[in-house]
Amino acid sequence: MVKFGIEFAPREPHWKIMYYVIQAEKGGFTNLWITDHFNDRNVYVALTTAAIYTDKITFGPGVTNPYMVNPVFTAQAVATLNELAPGRVVLGMGAGDKTTLDTVGVEMEKPLTAVQEAIDIIRKMTSGETVAYQGEVFKTAGAKFLFKPRGKIPVYVGAQGPKMLALAGRISDGVLINACHPKDVDYAVSCVKEGVRAAGKKFDEVDVAGYPSFSVHEDVKKAIKAALPVVSFIVAGSPPQILERHGIDVKKAEEIKDALKVNDWGRAFGGVTPEMISAFSVCGTPDMCIERIAELLKLGISQFVVGSPIGANVREAINLISEKILPHFKA
Amino acid sequence: MDYRKFVELIPIANRETLSNKLVDFILTSKNDEKMPSQLANTILHYWQQDVLKSESGLTVLLEAALLLEPDKTVNVFSELQMTSIAEQIKAALTS
Repeated sequence: MVKFGIEFAPREPHWKIMYYVIQAEKGGFTNLWITDHFNDRNVYVALTTAAIYTDKITFGPGVTNPYMVNPVFTAQAVATLNELAPGRVVLGMGAGDKTTLDTVGVEMEKPLTAVQEAIDIIRKMTSGETVAYQGEVFKTAGAKFLFKPRGKIPVYVGAQGPKMLALAGRISDGVLINACHPKDVDYAVSCVKEGVRAAGKKFDEVDVAGYPSFSVHEDVKKAIKAALPVVSFIVAGSPPQILERHGIDVKKAEEIKDALKVNDWGRAFGGVTPEMISAFSVCGTPDMCIERIAELLKLGISQFVVGSPIGANVREAINLISEKILPHFKA
Repeated sequence: MDYRKFVELIPIANRETLSNKLVDFILTSKNDEKMPSQLANTILHYWQQDVLKSESGLTVLLEAALLLEPDKTVNVFSELQMTSIAEQIKAALTS
């Protein structure tokens, strides 16, 4: 059965996020992903609070990276969480965002190797092994916990490029695909399958999660309005080949980027076109969202994660998803 | 302020609607910093137990809503035809 996840960035106070988390669990969501950015509140504090206030939902960082946090500390964090909520913890690991890493002066060295080595180390540490690791990026000399970890923690890889997607298929238990347009998802899934084949695994051994920007409202105009800020940032950060694939005028994207640089929100959000909304978000009335999600599931998505903004009013949007969208896929 | 005293005056038929409105004020408020952490934790605990529309739940919601959004909170009592309670709360806020 398809899983439904929900993403929160701990930018708001913990009590607001936790209200929504409890609501999401009551409403039938199976997975919770908390983003990890140094300039938001701490991901593991948010996840610990979620562990305390929930009983069923599976949760984890979505996603952390091995540059900002050494893999042994990530292993320690998820192993400790797994004591609080045994069997409910997963780990999302990606290469990080270059702009953010640049801000703190951290170099994104060999991202594929770094992600693979980090996952190796984390899996060994969380299995209770003593880890002497001589990788190209990470080295450990007999690292071991002084406590007994509670067992296997599924690892998801956050991936966009073809090589990272294939790596995810090869080594991970799941993949988080930050895309929502059928063209992009189809391509991403084919890359994951390549990795799965190379590892001699079965495709259904990998939980393939579509993790797009999402906005739902009974009034389509309100759904779109809520999605504009997120979509404008995605457009501004997308390379020309991605924009062209969706028939988006690169010049218009440049104009949005320029407006965002000078905090001219009106011009930036006003420049977002319907093509951009369609390419970079799942957005609209519940029926429109159901149609798009169904299309993605046919392409091989096994978990659909609703990402920011979720809706103009997050509480109302979670209710709409729980009452009108989830039942459609659980029937 | 004795929040419980006001909650006891709220007709049972209005409690669920009021609970929903107060939650909405709290979640959409920009005055996050006014929320005491202990009160926030109590609200989350009651939400987890699904008792935010009980007297205890409404008491903590009313306290939080009056701290974060006093005007909206007083007005909602009037909107829900609980003018007398609105007046009493207004008087308590200014005393």
